[in-house]
Amino acid sequence: MIPLPTIDACLKCNICTAACPVAAVSDAFPGPKAVGPQAQRFRHPRLQLSERSIALCSGCGVCSRVCPHGVAVADVNIVAKAHYAQQSGVPLRDHIISRPATLARLARPLAGLANLSLRLRPIRQTMELLLGVASEAPLPPFAPRTLRRQLADRCVIADRIPRLPADTIAYFHGCSSQHYEPHIGIMTVHLLEQLGFNVVLPPQTCCGLPLQSNGLLDAARRYARKNAGSLAPVIEAGIPIVGTSTSCTLALKHDYRSILDLRSETFDALAESTFDLFEFLLWRASDRLPRLECQALSARALYHPPCQLRLHGVGTPALEVLQHIPGLEILVSEHECCGVAGTYGLKRERYDTARQVGSPLFQQAQSAEVDFLITDSETCRWWLNAHTGLPAYHPVEVIAMAIGLQVPCPTRNAP
Amino acid sequence: MKHLIVVGAGLTGLFAAALAAARGARVTLVARGRGSLALSHGCIDLWATKSPSRSIRRLRHPHPYALAGGFPRLQSALADFIYLLDRQGIEYHGAPSRNHRLITALGTAHLTALAPFSLAAGDLNRAEPIVVAGFEGFFDFSPHLVASGLQRQGADIQDCLTLPLIELPPGRERFATDLARLFETPEWRRELARSWKPRLTGVRHLALPAVLGLEHNFIVWQELQDLLALTISEIPTLPPSLPGIRLERALRRSLSSAGVQIIEGSRAVGRVDGRSGGQLVSGVVLQTAGGPRLIAADAVILATGGVLNGGLVFHEDGRVQESVFDLPVAHDDDRTRWLGSDPFGSHPYALFGLHVDQHMRPLGANAKPAFENLFAAGSLLAGADRSREGSRQGIDLATAHCAVEAALA
Amino acid sequence: MPTLSTQVLVIGGGATGLGIAWDAALRGLKVILLEQGDLAQGTSGRYHGLLHSGGRYVTSDPHSARDCARENAILRRIIPAAIEDTGGLFVSTPADPPQFADRWLEACGRCNVPAQEITPAQALRREPMLNPRISRAFYVNDASLNSFHLLHALTESVRSSGCQVLLWHQVVALLIARQAVVGARVRPLAQGEEFSILADVVVNATGPWTAAVAALAGLHIPLTLGKGTLIAMASRVVNTVINRCKPPSDGDIIVPVDTVNVLGTTDVPVSSPEQRSIEPWEIDLLLAEGEILIPSLSQYRPLRAWAGIRPLYRPQEVEAINNRSITRGHIILDHAENDSLGGLISVFGGKLTTFRLMAEQTVDLICRRLGIRSPSLTAETPLQPGHRRHYSLPARLTSIESARATGHPDLLCECEVVSKGEVLTALQGGDVAELADLMRDLRLGMGPCQGTFCAYRAAAVLAEVGAGAQTPQQALHAFASERSRGLSPLAWGTTLRQMALQHRVYVDLLHAEVTD
Repeated sequence: MIPLPTIDACLKCNICTAACPVAAVSDAFPGPKAVGPQAQRFRHPRLQLSERSIALCSGCGVCSRVCPHGVAVADVNIVAKAHYAQQSGVPLRDHIISRPATLARLARPLAGLANLSLRLRPIRQTMELLLGVASEAPLPPFAPRTLRRQLADRCVIADRIPRLPADTIAYFHGCSSQHYEPHIGIMTVHLLEQLGFNVVLPPQTCCGLPLQSNGLLDAARRYARKNAGSLAPVIEAGIPIVGTSTSCTLALKHDYRSILDLRSETFDALAESTFDLFEFLLWRASDRLPRLECQALSARALYHPPCQLRLHGVGTPALEVLQHIPGLEILVSEHECCGVAGTYGLKRERYDTARQVGSPLFQQAQSAEVDFLITDSETCRWWLNAHTGLPAYHPVEVIAMAIGLQVPCPTRNAP
Repeated sequence: MKHLIVVGAGLTGLFAAALAAARGARVTLVARGRGSLALSHGCIDLWATKSPSRSIRRLRHPHPYALAGGFPRLQSALADFIYLLDRQGIEYHGAPSRNHRLITALGTAHLTALAPFSLAAGDLNRAEPIVVAGFEGFFDFSPHLVASGLQRQGADIQDCLTLPLIELPPGRERFATDLARLFETPEWRRELARSWKPRLTGVRHLALPAVLGLEHNFIVWQELQDLLALTISEIPTLPPSLPGIRLERALRRSLSSAGVQIIEGSRAVGRVDGRSGGQLVSGVVLQTAGGPRLIAADAVILATGGVLNGGLVFHEDGRVQESVFDLPVAHDDDRTRWLGSDPFGSHPYALFGLHVDQHMRPLGANAKPAFENLFAAGSLLAGADRSREGSRQGIDLATAHCAVEAALA
Repeated sequence: MPTLSTQVLVIGGGATGLGIAWDAALRGLKVILLEQGDLAQGTSGRYHGLLHSGGRYVTSDPHSARDCARENAILRRIIPAAIEDTGGLFVSTPADPPQFADRWLEACGRCNVPAQEITPAQALRREPMLNPRISRAFYVNDASLNSFHLLHALTESVRSSGCQVLLWHQVVALLIARQAVVGARVRPLAQGEEFSILADVVVNATGPWTAAVAALAGLHIPLTLGKGTLIAMASRVVNTVINRCKPPSDGDIIVPVDTVNVLGTTDVPVSSPEQRSIEPWEIDLLLAEGEILIPSLSQYRPLRAWAGIRPLYRPQEVEAINNRSITRGHIILDHAENDSLGGLISVFGGKLTTFRLMAEQTVDLICRRLGIRSPSLTAETPLQPGHRRHYSLPARLTSIESARATGHPDLLCECEVVSKGEVLTALQGGDVAELADLMRDLRLGMGPCQGTFCAYRAAAVLAEVGAGAQTPQQALHAFASERSRGLSPLAWGTTLRQMALQHRVYVDLLHAEVTD
């Protein structure tokens, strides 16, 4: 059981204020300490509040990670921000961008048209005008076929789960692999199968993180309960749940319990069964890694560990694994955050702040003369690609290159 | 290649990790959060007397300096430190034989052996007339407090000013880091220098709050001196304190380029190697966002700090706990005897901590090393009142140096 | 300084004394009030902040319970700005006698104390951190009353009606002529020479100092002093006053007041009003009892501890077993009747909730003595809220938000939201003799950082405007010493860590000088 979030351990030392990437670029954001432990003492559950500055928090979580005293600053702020959003009314735009799965289901029949229109400037300008979705912000194209459809043979239903063989892994694909980047899911499945695992796709829905970030906590809780229910047989069977989207897996591990306040043995078990792909490879499959026959990749890359990955508290496992690829020279990002923080950078009123947050990283990427960028989170990839013009890959794509795994990517040129 | 885990990301932990990596070890640094460098002046205090080297040579066991190998150990540690920081672009000035007398934000004197260049420039030993200036709307540094303190010491205060900062948008509380980022903008600082120039005629030495840049401190400092044609020195502000943050970032850069694996945000719990009959530790278990994750290693160095950073946890019932391996802590178990009478004086709790042997191995109940491959360094160690002695960073570096050499031996 | 003269001289600037001055001023009397220290430095500023519904006394002291219930309603009308309507709960925990709840509810009915039973589930919905094992819960009209705010408002009202409130003035002698007290000899503690004040009536409203002041006239008042220790938690764990449903005892109440929760209290007999040192067992007991109401209490930070001294009347005929069985009601002693010494009235006991009633009854007596027919107006006259700032919690957040939007908030104390402008205004007001006065007046330094950041910034303002008799460095040291008195009984865990941070900043970073 994780402890209750308490602000009382905060010593006001300002270490989080100094590290906050949003406060670094915004005069309007007073910093994580001010809107967090400090403001929390003045909040009252039964009285109305007016606190616009909390809305500027991107939820990147750097504050929680740097706090030497274990204060869950970001959790406090995300909850406060959600309450403020509810109180002041969640705009239509945020309802839309926080439901990527629904959006994709609606758009799929017309994927070609939808993708084309997202690339057209007039349409994006109209979207900005009508909805407040920043016209410059990258939006991912919809894949014509979902991951589950492409891997239908590996999808399992609940009552088959207890009979699955040993060495089975349940893949939590999240919305991005399901709807936008199925090739990443396919690569993951192939990679794990090459390492001798049996991979299944259990029933699952969106992790709910975008809803949570946009203040729709009750809707996020519904998704969380649905996932906990559909993954329960997997957990009971002792099957690890592995994901490639670091924010989805963080939601399963952390946010359900400490932000959505779903505290029970079910959610503890879900958290303990969940792994990021590379975390899993490093901690549960390191003895099998030598089986991968990596060819030399003569390239120079910049690896940026996403904020959401860093909050797992497991370091940078993908970096550890990628370092085994001969010939691949990897530089590491010197910056805390790329700025987009999920859906934060998509919003018209936040776009500039998000871009400024990422700007030192963009500069590092451009001046380092790298061939491509590597980062685990999909929103960071799309964002970095848009702002640097460099290809941005998921680490599993780079492993796939090294082991010669060819998976066509219909929405993007293959690496 | 030996695999070493360092627990803690303060000066001790960062230095130990950098040193170990430089000596060819595979290093994993684990830390729950950042250490207290952001609260520090960024200098290396050795001993607050006229000649630190002479004072330190006289120390005996069980003072951590003496245990770590006395003055020769400290000298090697300082040499490694200076080399490391020089490679990251921060020149430290000074020597252990003689202290700088630097100005604090209260106008008192801070005796320290090594100081980054922009602080060393303010050494009171130079006895030149000083103008102290603060900034409008910046409360974490007061030129009035500095001037009133310095006057009492008989320093030559020429003037005390509050300088305007140009074109600040409305907004929020301003911290030193905010101003430091502004000073990194070349056009802004050049215009600022132009606007200040008429107010600074006849000034030879200008002491400013330490906000002159974050990554590019040297360039900012140099350029302002050139534009204003005077000597500029920096005085550390209330936290976040830039000289400490610059040091922290420099050490982190050096870890990153040395390939040290850094795992932040998870608490570490010690793991004893069951097969060794309790003689060895096998590593640490991280309490991650998901489940526990074991990191195995050949040796572990604890650099978790004292009471402030949670290396030692003080309980209501008088127990004092070491937070990773639950090692025995030398302490008084009556909590009413932990504090001294003056809040700014010495406190008995400052002396609590781990007893270690000459290889920095914490002692168990029988006064023998608790484990063959577990080491401790920095504020976690018993036997020194670092604030009173003015010895904090010196002990951090010397004990980290000793622990790394012993762990890699 | 020439001799002053007045109709009524009130000694003691607590709620009782200021209430008397206010009541008398409203009736048109000329009043001078003397206080030996700062406002709220005595018992009135050292209590838990509870505006009693009366529920606490229905079984032990029904008379007080009725007084409280009536006064509660009156104070809500006349000084709403100092009151936060938190509501109160009486809950039966597994540690409380189960049969007491029904007896208590009946007694509430008899004393006209409104109480309504709610289900434990309702109570937990209102206060989720409450012990989930409570078996009964009752809602009452408890509230929190900010005594700092109240005392400031009273002082401003008294002053604006043309009467004088002199802080930092100590009475060194009572002037007696022809079997009557006719005035007092006064020593200003800040600066200036001793002087005399002549008065038709002198009121001794000095709380725990009552016996000492009476002794200046050679009188003996059988007074027992009881020390009550309290702890403020760094933030609010509950937003409703929580009482244990059991006979009053140590550590049975939690009051949300301002930004904190106050745990109270102990009751230890002491022999002098200065005996306010806190024993470790009191702290342990308050926290252990608090944990019965809030099981997760140990995860929160005790922020400061302090003790107030209650004066309790114990005439010879009462052989009480312990302090708690002595009446909490108030006593008005007309020394003309009791001791054949005219011109002096001593008033003591009671509680903050009943200060107005005590004042009304005292001034009624004064008017009878002076032969004036004039009824009390305090129950109908709203107190001006004065210049005290936004009391309700969200209001402070709102004020800082708007300050950020329009300019710079210029915050010196981030924890309690105190700006440089407010500090400058307080310094110009003239009642500020040391930084600790800013703490009492503005709450500067009262928050969780324990003065680590704001003390430097406030000392900088002193240095800038050149205020105060001390050097800024001395002022800083005095402030830290004052603050550490409230911290040292709690020096473990996070509180000790915070002290270590303060030490790191002021000693390692700033090299503050030690003055002892």
